Parts: sequence; structure tokens; C-alpha cells
Amino acid sequence: MGLQDYITLVFTDYTLRTITLGTALLGAICGMLGSFAVLRKQSLLGDAISHAALPGIALAFLIHGAKNSFYFLIGALVSGLLGTFWIKGITKRTHLKSDTALGLVLSLFFGFGMLLLTYIQKQENANQAGLDKYLFGQAATLMESDVWILAGVTGISLLILLFFWKEFKILLFDPEYTKTLGFNTRVIDILITTFMVLAIVLGLQTVGVVLMSAMLLAPAAAARQWTNHLWKMIVIAAVFGALSGIIGTGISATQNNLSTGPVIVLVAAVFVLFSFIFAPSRGLLFRQIRFMKNRNNLKLHKTLSVMYEIAKTHKNFKHPHKIKILNNFQGFSRKSLKKMETYQWIELNGQMWNLTDKGYHKAVNLYNQQNIQQDD
Amino acid sequence: MTSAQFEIQLIASLVAIACAIPGTFLVLRKMAMISDAISHSILPGIVVGFFISHNINSPLLIVLAALTGVITVVLVEFIQKTGLVKEDTAIGLVFPAMFSIGVLLIAQNANDVHLDVDAVLLGEIAFAPFDRIYWEDYDLGPKSLWVIGTILLITIALLITFFKELKVSTFDAQLSAALGFSPAIIHYGLMSVASVTTVGAFDAVGAILVVALMIAPAATAYLLTEDLKKMLGISIVSGVFSAIVGYWVANFLDASIAGSITTVLGILFFITYLFAPKKGIIAVLHRQKQQKIEVSLLTFLLHLNNHSEESERHLDHLQDEINWQRGTSKKVVDLALKNNMITINNQIVSLTDKGKLFTEEAISYIISNKKSEIEEMKSRFFLFRG
Amino acid sequence: MQEQNAIKVDDLTVAYNYKPVLWDIDLVIPEGVLMAIVGPNGAGKSTLIKSILGIIKPLAGSVKVFGKPYQKQRDKVAYVPQKGSVDWDFPTTALDVVMMGTYGSLGWIKRPGKKEKKASLEALEKVGMLPFQNRQISQLSGGQQQRIFLARALVQNASIYLMDEPFQGVDATTEKAIIQILKELRKAGKTVIVVHHDLQTVPEYFDWVTFLNVKKIATGPVKDIFNDDNLTKTYGINYKVSMQK
Repeated sequence: MGLQDYITLVFTDYTLRTITLGTALLGAICGMLGSFAVLRKQSLLGDAISHAALPGIALAFLIHGAKNSFYFLIGALVSGLLGTFWIKGITKRTHLKSDTALGLVLSLFFGFGMLLLTYIQKQENANQAGLDKYLFGQAATLMESDVWILAGVTGISLLILLFFWKEFKILLFDPEYTKTLGFNTRVIDILITTFMVLAIVLGLQTVGVVLMSAMLLAPAAAARQWTNHLWKMIVIAAVFGALSGIIGTGISATQNNLSTGPVIVLVAAVFVLFSFIFAPSRGLLFRQIRFMKNRNNLKLHKTLSVMYEIAKTHKNFKHPHKIKILNNFQGFSRKSLKKMETYQWIELNGQMWNLTDKGYHKAVNLYNQQNIQQDD
Repeated sequence: MTSAQFEIQLIASLVAIACAIPGTFLVLRKMAMISDAISHSILPGIVVGFFISHNINSPLLIVLAALTGVITVVLVEFIQKTGLVKEDTAIGLVFPAMFSIGVLLIAQNANDVHLDVDAVLLGEIAFAPFDRIYWEDYDLGPKSLWVIGTILLITIALLITFFKELKVSTFDAQLSAALGFSPAIIHYGLMSVASVTTVGAFDAVGAILVVALMIAPAATAYLLTEDLKKMLGISIVSGVFSAIVGYWVANFLDASIAGSITTVLGILFFITYLFAPKKGIIAVLHRQKQQKIEVSLLTFLLHLNNHSEESERHLDHLQDEINWQRGTSKKVVDLALKNNMITINNQIVSLTDKGKLFTEEAISYIISNKKSEIEEMKSRFFLFRG
Repeated sequence: MQEQNAIKVDDLTVAYNYKPVLWDIDLVIPEGVLMAIVGPNGAGKSTLIKSILGIIKPLAGSVKVFGKPYQKQRDKVAYVPQKGSVDWDFPTTALDVVMMGTYGSLGWIKRPGKKEKKASLEALEKVGMLPFQNRQISQLSGGQQQRIFLARALVQNASIYLMDEPFQGVDATTEKAIIQILKELRKAGKTVIVVHHDLQTVPEYFDWVTFLNVKKIATGPVKDIFNDDNLTKTYGINYKVSMQK
């Protein structure tokens, strides 16, 4: 199937359209809120919350007795929030560190959820439960009503983000200072946390407990590399998230035996990998290029300063000298001399060289800069 | 109790011990979440090992999976070093990607692979007794017992051999480097043990619950003791206790054994979290309340010591300027009176000689930053605590 | 004109985990001084500033700013936290950080407009950072980052400036530039309070000083109380002021 056919199919096929829309929305909201998690150094909180939601889902089923997405959501939300607060309680009240608190809540809640799930499965109406999908996610079960819920939550969190933009930004950057300005930081904090839990809970049935944290982190981590502005980072993260959803759904819909959740996560991982390497200025590739360029420049600068010392010995700094003189000094080559000539720092005449005005000033500048740096 | 039941409990107990040992060090080294990352990312290693050996119990599986675990750690550290993202983000990026690769590998080869992601994540120890090893016709017992038993023996041998090095490098990495133990070797050694243990345990209790068995007993022990050997001991005991009790609870409820063991671990931790004698939150809250009154008392005495003028030493001044509520100030004054540190004449408070001595000693201790000695001093001066 | 106290601290006691950090501090800071708070590590210098700002809740005692509690006087106080207290890799620009100084007067939800931007640019100009306004903050040197923090406080246009170690990890040029600005602030009648480490520069930079080591040792004009006696009382060892540099 060609790409064009697939795009037509997305617009005409009801199920595929629903799933694509759903995963795109989910990716967008996760990218948006994940940016906050990444910047607050709470990257693994998402993982803990998604695991902590499991017993809530199971309990909702036990109490309510029927398969109903809405009750599952409420159950997951309550137990996710409970887990979050317990993590905060453990780190605040005991000497246990945050990583232990995260691991504890993650595994203990999940284990308890497992106990409940297996208990439910032994009951009579077990097959109707369909709880398995919360473990690994099943995008295929997305229904139009789910998409509406996702759209609603995305819309509301977008509105709140726009409304409290200034407050979010300053809290993320400098919480203590925010307090001195008279803002109630706890209100902002609770807003952010609640929406994060909500997004995670919504994502559970699509990508599942295990992979949920990647949906939050990957788009944000990728987006961070491309920009130094918070709002651009959030927009790019939302776009990356949505694209991961759309592309992942596409790949998994057109291939056999590829479940949607893992494919979406891998697409997001590709975005991360690509951004880590190719992002301008922060990316590893450009960093390496810049590093090598600097090293070359440093070499040229060194040669220039040696030439400057030699030229200073003569009254007229433009007086030509033999290239051989430089032989005592390491680190120059024909190539680097040629390069210096193209920079118009020196002029080459056969076996002779002489500094130009430009080269002389450059050398003086370098000399001063060096002294200033030593001053620091 | 049937022999199958006994074997299940034995395997579960061995898994608990094998997890508790590396778990203790992971918790102390603030690397608990690494165990979560390892437990997920070994999946592709297991799958590839299975492709090659076509045998779920092949040692190759364990080797490859452990290797994947170490690769995960290296990858996480590499990403951290680039400085592109923060440390925890690096963990959160690597393991879901690895896990996804594993899931897709299984799905792509569903016809050849009788591996179930459910089984890897959740485990099924109930089936362990049915997969046995025979030598000629002689029944040597369940395979998982041999696997986890071997891993446990190696872990214990390593623990005993390198106990000193582990201890020093955990509590003081710099000293350890100075003494010539490379922190890197111990670090990666520990990571390897954690990986191997995770692999050995996953088919019994599942990958996620390995995390519970590593972290929860260690965290419980951490709240009960400050001694490394005791901490290891308590971790092991609470792990084994949870394994056995968890088994019978699961038996009773007819539910997942792994889930049940974790739940017992959770309850055990929760009880410790509430009631641990020194570090439990009830004890902490009680101590904070006591200390709050006692620090208030010290403040009050210091205030009296600083101010000779009567207006500053009037009882009403406590509420006005020191800004205490009526209840607090009454408690403080009562405590000071009970301990013979002040006398009150006409609403004017004065320090007794004992009060003066106490205050001056307290000041000198606090200024010289020997705050721990204040506790010792308090017990010398106080007849009644706050 | 009547002499007024900028800050009055009464019987202030602060405890972390109920271990005392500040003990029964009485402190009066007159308006218009340029004051250093000095003392050894762990003496509670930052804690004192944070308690004045209401970030830390004291166990006992009260703080008054121009005669009223801090909560009612926020617009009169600006804070420069320690440079190390934030993540400088945060995706934002120098100008953005300075603009944050205007958020307090804006209150909830309202966004900064032209007026706030103009004020922020002026503050950047004052600290000599105008050319760097669009620079990502991680690409600034330690000294430049400190100047940005100073500009953020300047934008608040307060009467009292509280600064936590503004000279920590900055180059000599920046240190001179910062102290120049602080002296200008004092000339304009503002009160400036600085947690300071370098005893050598106290007489040169400041006109008022507070010695602190859990208790208040002394407070007053530098020329009257900055002597070996108080230094020894504060630092515990025999201290000699050496003025040569």
C-alpha cells in the first residue's frame, strides 16, 4: 500500500481515523505535559504514576462490576494521585531518597494491582473485563468517545496552560523566587501534577502501563534539543508527540503483528535519537564539528601568535620572514599556512611569509583576550 | 503441604534472598530506579537468546539478558554524560525503547517463539515445579530452583569476597578510589549481579515484581537500622517472610502468587513506614513535636539570658513578640518550671542558676556547630522531656 | 525627615528539622544602608534572608518591613537568590529571566506588556547585559548569570534588596560592576543587604555590617564594629583584619 493510499484510508476508514486521531491527540498532550516533567526533573514520576494506576482500575471493576471506561478512568486517577502523594510523603518524612520512593510505589502498587486482576479473572465475568489492555495498551480499542475525552482534556489543559503560562514558567525556573513574589506555588504545583496524572491515565489504554512514561519523556527530550525557548519547546514536543502517534499508528496498521504502543514508542525514540545527533547547536554532531573547528582555529591562533612574536622583533611588522624559522615551532603545516592566507592574516611569497594588517590586529586582539581570560 | 507447594515456596524464598542482596546496595547508592530500567530492558536480550538457543532455560538467555542489562546501564550513563538531558530522563528514555524492541521482536516471530510478554512481565511461579531437570532417570528438582540457586550462590560468594569494597565504595566513593578499589569496577559488578538476578528471577516472579523484591525489603530495612550487615539481614528476612506469607495468601485467594508476594511486601513496608521505632513517621512526628517544644524552650531561655530588662521578661511578652500561640507558650513555661530552669515572680520570669548554666552550654554547643551534642546535653539537664 | 527602619527582626528563631539555625535574633536595619551579613559556613546567613522573605517559616519571632509584615510589603522587597539555586540549562533567554521580576506586580494571569519589557531592557542596560538579551542563559558566564539575576531584582523597583552571595563565582570585572550598582542603589536611598563571604572587601564595599553565627554577634556601622574582637567572636579563632590586598 502506498503512502497516498494510506492517507486516503485514514480519511475514509472510520476505525483507522479514530485511532489515528486518538494517538495523535494523546501524543500531543503527553508532549506538552511531559515538557514540564522533564524540566522539573520528575521524569520517572510518570512511570511510577502509570504503574500506580493499575489497582485503581482493578478496584473500579470490582466495585462497579462492568466494563466502563469512565469508571476505570476515575479509579486510575484516584490511585495514580494516591501514589503520587505517597511518593511525596516518603521523601518528605523519611530519609529514603526519591528514587527508592518511586521504585517502591511503582512496584508495590503494580503488584497489588496484579493481585486484584488475577483475582478478578478467576471470577465469572472475567472475560468481559478486558483489563489486559491496560498493561500493554491496545490502540485498536480506542472509540470515538475516547477521542472526545482526549480532545476535551487536551483543550482544557491547553487553555489552562495559556492562562497560567507566566506562572508555570516562573515556577519551573525558580520556585523560591516565585514564592517571594507572592504566588501560591502549591496551587500551580497541584495544577501541573493533576494534569500530568490525567494525561497518563488517558494514555494507559492506548500504550499501556509499561510504555506510558516514554510517551511523556521522549517528545519533550527531543524537543528540548531544538530550541532555547520554553513555548517553542512545548509546541515542538506536542508536534513530535502527535507525529509519533500518527506515524506509529500508520506503521502498525500496515504491517502484521506490530502492536501500536511499542511502535509509537520506537518512533518517538527515533525522534529523540535524531534530535540528539542532528539538532543544531546542542546536537552531538554539531558539537563535534564545532569542537574540531575550535581545535583547528586554536592551532591557527597559536601559529599566528608565534608569527606575531617573530614579527615584533622587526621594526616593520610586515617585514617578510623565512618559513623555515617556524620549523622550531610545532603545529603548523603548509595547509594551515594556506588557510591563514585565505583569512588574509599573512601573505606568502615562495619560501617567505609576512603578516598583514589584519593578521597583526588579530594577533594583538588574541594577545589581549588571553590576558583578560587569565584575569578572570 | 504438597511437595510442589514446598518447592514453590523454596524458589520464591531463594528469589527473595537473591534480590534483597543487590537491592540493598541499589537503595543505598540511590540507584533504585536502575533496577526498574534493567528489569524492562532485558526483554530483547531474552528474545534474541531464545532465537539462538530455542530453549527458554538455556544459559545463553541469561548471559545475553544480563548483557542487555549492562548495556542499558552504559547507555543511560552515556546519555547522561552528553548533558543533553538530565539523569532521570535518560533512564526513562532507554528502557521503554528497549522493551518495545523486545515486544516487537516477539510479535514479529510469534509463530516460532513461545514467549509471552505477560509471562516475562508477570511471571508464573506456580508452573515452576512442573519444569524439572532429570539426570538419567533421577529427578533433580525444578529447573528454576537450580537457576536461582546458582545465581544466589554466586551472589553470596561475591558479597562475602567483596563486602569491604562494596561497603566503602557505597558510603564513600572517593575514599574507595583512594584505597585503590576502582568504583567503576564495583559499580558495573553490582549492575551485572542485578542484571543476572533479574533474569534469573523473571520467570518466577516477573520483571516488574523483581523491582519490588529488590527495593521494598531494602527500604523496609533502611527504616529499621543504620548498620549495613543488619540491613542486609532484615532485607533478607522480610523478603523471605513476604515470599512465604504471599504464597499462602495467593493460595487462599486463588490469585497471582507474584502479585500477592508484592502486596505482602507492600503491607510490611507500610507498617514499617508508620511504626518504625526511630524513622517511622509516627516516631518522626512525635520527635518533631517534642523537639519543637524543646527548641522553643531553649529559645525562651536564651531570650531571658539576653535580656535583663523586666519588660522583655514579662509573661505576656511570650505571646506578643515571640509570636507563639497561647498553648505553645504555656507548654514551654510549664516545661521550664518542671525542670527548675526558671522562677516566676509577679509575672516576671527569671532564670535559675541551672537555667543559666544550661543556656550557656547550649549556646556554646550551637555556635561551635556541635549540634548533635545538644541531644546528649538535654538528657543531662532534663528531668522531664517536652 | 524621620529616621525609619527598613527591617526590624524581633526574637527570630529558626530551626531546620527542629535543630536551631538562628537563635533569638534581634536586628534593626536602618533605611538606606549598604549592609553585609558575614559569618562562617552554617551560620544561618541565607536562612536569615529567607526568613525575612517569608520563604522559611520561623519557630518564633517576627519580621517587620517598614513597620508591617512582609506579606503586605512584597512590592517593596526584591530578592537575588544564590546563582546555584536554579537550573541554568532551562530553555529561556536573559531578557525572559529579567522580565520575571515584573511578574509580582502583575499578579496572577496578567501578562507582561510593553511597559514591562521596556523596564527589563533598562535593567539589562544598567548591568551591562543589553547585548546579551536574547542569549540562552546557559551560554552566559557565571558573572553574566549573576548580572541577570541582579537585573531581575532591579526591575522589581523595590526599596529593599536582599542578595544571597552575589559575588560567588563571578569574575573581578563583574564584582566591580555589581558593587558599583549597589552603591548607586544606596545613593538613591535604597536599602541593600548582602550575604557576603570575602572579609577583605567588607570595609571597601559596605557601610554597615552584621556579624552572625547562629546568634547575632554585632551589628552597626562598619567603621565602628568591624574589628578583630567581633571577627574573633564570630569565627571562633583569633582573627586579624588585614587590610592589604
